[in-house]
Amino acid sequence: MVALYQKLLYLYPRFYRQQFAEEMTAVFRDVDEEARRRGSIITMKFYVREAGGLLRGAVTEHFRRIFGSQIPSPLFPMRFTMRPGFRFPKSTSFLMTVILAGIVLAIDKAEAIRTALPADIAPVGPMWAPHVNILTTIVLTFLLVDFVAAVGWVVLFALHRSGVQRLEETSSAPERS
Amino acid sequence: MELPLTEAVLLILLSLAEHPRHGYSILKDVEEVSGGRVVLSTGTLYGALRRLLDEGWIERFEEDDTTRGRQAYRLTTLGQRTLQTEVTRLKQLTRVASLRTARRGA
Repeated sequence: MVALYQKLLYLYPRFYRQQFAEEMTAVFRDVDEEARRRGSIITMKFYVREAGGLLRGAVTEHFRRIFGSQIPSPLFPMRFTMRPGFRFPKSTSFLMTVILAGIVLAIDKAEAIRTALPADIAPVGPMWAPHVNILTTIVLTFLLVDFVAAVGWVVLFALHRSGVQRLEETSSAPERS
Repeated sequence: MELPLTEAVLLILLSLAEHPRHGYSILKDVEEVSGGRVVLSTGTLYGALRRLLDEGWIERFEEDDTTRGRQAYRLTTLGQRTLQTEVTRLKQLTRVASLRTARRGA
């Protein structure tokens, strides 16, 4: 079972394995020996707990490696590091929805006006894609808004990671006379 | 420094409050102190230890006996201060809770 545990440790990022794999294996071996002495049910509970803990821990460490420690892992929202100062504003989702609804309504209205016009008047619009229907337009608009939002989020995230928001908290060193 | 701590983290810090411990010793102490309610897996324990190391609340402690990959951990000054702050907060909360429940019972 220790061999299987060691294989499962490969789910963790390399730097984590280098730092903790040996210790974790030693602790697992100790607890495994103790659990076996206490009976098969306790041993099974121990294996289930370990499997769950390892999988969750591996996902969390990969999440931290990718997104940094400021963003809490959805699987491991531990408060002592989490509660980050930076949070994606909830109002943004609402505003994005409102903007999207406005765009859709505007497109719908324009479509209604176009169909109401006499057929002999040439429509004014994107001549490069006259076949684009309203559904395609909505999807494209939604993708565009998502892209802009993602870029904005990346910029905010990069600014936050740079620590620029903490500049005001830093006190200047006393001047030497 | 973010408070309050989760129960698991508080228990890990408490287990290191008296003296340095190895991973296995922390696991057993947490289980004992919590009355068997909190049983940490090795993945959870070392995930928490890694975060505590990153926060600078604990540090690795070199011991003479480093057989079987054992590594001891101990609280740093920052960790002790954090633990003290959290314990003070809990004491205050407990005092208020006792007063209010006593009033309601009277």
